[in-house]
Amino acid sequence: MNSTVASEYSSEIHTTPIEHRFNPYSDNGGTVLGIAGKDFAVLAGDTRQVEGYSINSRYEQKIFNVGDDIVMTANGFAADGSALIDRFRNQLKWYKFDHNNKKLSVASSARYIRHLLYSKRFFPYYVSTLIAGLDDEGKGCVYSFDPVGSYEREQCRAGGAAASLIMPFLDNQVNFKNQYQPGSDGTEKKPLRYLELDEVLELVKDAFSSATERHIQVGDGLEIFIVTKEGVRTEYYPLKRD
Amino acid sequence: MNGISVDINHLKKGEVSMGTSIMAVTFKDGVILGADSRTTTGSYIANRVTDKLTQIHDTIYCCRSGSAADTQAVADMVKYYMQMYASQLPIDEKPTTSVVANIFQEVCYNNKDNLTAGIICAGYDDKVGGSVYSIPIGGSIHKQDYAIAGSGSGFIYGWCNENYKPNMEKDECVQFIKTALSEAMKWDGSSGGVVRMVILDKNGVERLIYYPHEIKV
Amino acid sequence: MAGLSFDNFQRNKFLVSKGFGQPMATSTGTTIVGCKFNGGVIIAADTRATAGSIVADKNCEKLHRLSPKIWCAGAGTAADTEMVTQLIASNLELHSLSQRRQPRVITALTLLKQHLFKYQGHLGAYLIVAGNDPTGAHLMSVQAHGSTDIGEYQSLGSGSLAAMAVLETGWKPNMTKEEAMKLCADAIESGIWNDLGSGSNVDLCVMEVGKDAELHRNYLTPNVRSEKLKSYKFDRGTTAVLRSSIHDVLDVEETVITFGNDAMEVDA
Repeated sequence: MNSTVASEYSSEIHTTPIEHRFNPYSDNGGTVLGIAGKDFAVLAGDTRQVEGYSINSRYEQKIFNVGDDIVMTANGFAADGSALIDRFRNQLKWYKFDHNNKKLSVASSARYIRHLLYSKRFFPYYVSTLIAGLDDEGKGCVYSFDPVGSYEREQCRAGGAAASLIMPFLDNQVNFKNQYQPGSDGTEKKPLRYLELDEVLELVKDAFSSATERHIQVGDGLEIFIVTKEGVRTEYYPLKRD
Repeated sequence: MNGISVDINHLKKGEVSMGTSIMAVTFKDGVILGADSRTTTGSYIANRVTDKLTQIHDTIYCCRSGSAADTQAVADMVKYYMQMYASQLPIDEKPTTSVVANIFQEVCYNNKDNLTAGIICAGYDDKVGGSVYSIPIGGSIHKQDYAIAGSGSGFIYGWCNENYKPNMEKDECVQFIKTALSEAMKWDGSSGGVVRMVILDKNGVERLIYYPHEIKV
Repeated sequence: MAGLSFDNFQRNKFLVSKGFGQPMATSTGTTIVGCKFNGGVIIAADTRATAGSIVADKNCEKLHRLSPKIWCAGAGTAADTEMVTQLIASNLELHSLSQRRQPRVITALTLLKQHLFKYQGHLGAYLIVAGNDPTGAHLMSVQAHGSTDIGEYQSLGSGSLAAMAVLETGWKPNMTKEEAMKLCADAIESGIWNDLGSGSNVDLCVMEVGKDAELHRNYLTPNVRSEKLKSYKFDRGTTAVLRSSIHDVLDVEETVITFGNDAMEVDA
């Protein structure tokens, strides 16, 4: 028998080799969400970074103003997230050098991020990526990506650890899913409308304080990036720290 | 894997183990048992003041190494057997160390597939004075003048072999054990804490404890 | 049949081979501590129960009563700590009835360790056992495989390292009841803040020699949920009524019977 552990007892002999392979990925928790409004877009995320049952940091920035009034986040495996954002920033810099400081649109940024992600198709960036900004008409926009580059423009999207807790809430409160016009007996959907910025901010804060209640990897702080035609600004709110 | 050291892979996930330094030495008037006090779960020290010297009868003790759960269960069993056995004995008689050691051996051998227990049984009885029995992992039994066991023992085989003398004085024997265990605890990461000793002779039981600052290494 | 049923073992193994994993048991990824003081003993616990990374219960009870003056704090698989605790509580009561003596902590500990050893670690119960009996105040711990420890202070669970850090720095001999309560609460809080498996509130049980045990449920509540900013009341009629049917589940019949001479004279 090809045993790998020498022993006199049958129960201690391993017939299969014991593997000690390096695992290149880890899960750093956290959650993010983006909502597009009529003339603004927000990208929000908690500021906790975890590993296993431990907290690495109670304030680690993971949403960034990457330039040209575009905000970006890549949630999941933090090292891959930073690597992706760094790469995008660097490319944006070279794009501006090469093209006389031309402004890059959010749509073009999204297309480029697809290629960054797909270039590692068989060793993917372990992240859910979100970017937000204003489109060519000045309307708010949010683009969301899967780890290997599939993407779409959406009105709202949650990503990361508590995405499954927040997304149904957003479907209901932003896109009014499962809400009908009173009196119409379920025949007429509640009409869609753009939410105001202060409404959106209240939704975001409630979404995160609720996710903090029920998900152990979410908490400590909430950082919101708001993109308007005036530029990018941030807000910070504390979350529960347990 | 040589039966004396403990195969950590054998322990179930999360099982508490005593990567130990234990020993028992006969001297002129009886026997002295010694042990470190560290209990670990992986790299965490679950208990830093463990008592690995367990009383089985009045002047018969054992040193435990391997799985904490297994050795406690076995020691509890043997202790119970000795209570039943002693109650059947004439009023002025007590169990001998050899009886206790052989019960340990029987239990360890019969359940060898389910146990990770390395035990040193030592005691004083009026018939033969101090005696030491080593019962390593497979359930064999070895009567010795002195015995060392546990993961830390590998570091002190040479030293003990060089420095052991038969029929030592009590103080000399205490010093022998103290030095040996200090070295074992210094080199073995799974051993540490305080040095505990139990002296068994015609006067009964005497316990000693040496704190880290009292051990010069 | 007494003991655990292994009826579904074969089926579950087949299911696992087909890619259906084992159901996840609610684990009390927990911080529990215990500490002796000058004339008694205290145990404490957090109140978060988790299922994976989801909080299953924000205010669960991890302090269990084994007998009126012996309590234990449980970490590990919630169902196991609950069941093993109830079983041993019953056996302890029966034992004390048959012996006509107050139950002892060492008896509880022995029953627990022998039960857990029998199940070779498959019952995931990690317990800190403490209490008063005629021999004084005691503090001990049992691990799932059946090993036990004795000490002046103990901590167990996923937050045990955070809690032990506090205990190792804060503990001193001969503490007063108030000092020990503070130390235990601080140790649990350390787990609540620094260990993801622990959270919400601090439960605490004081067992003073010669007195009844006092359970301080939610001794500290440092994690009260903040007020929501928006109201999520929906207008009446927001949810579509697709179909409605009303079933009568009760028939009410009323019959009035008058009592009187005229009515009662049936046979004449």
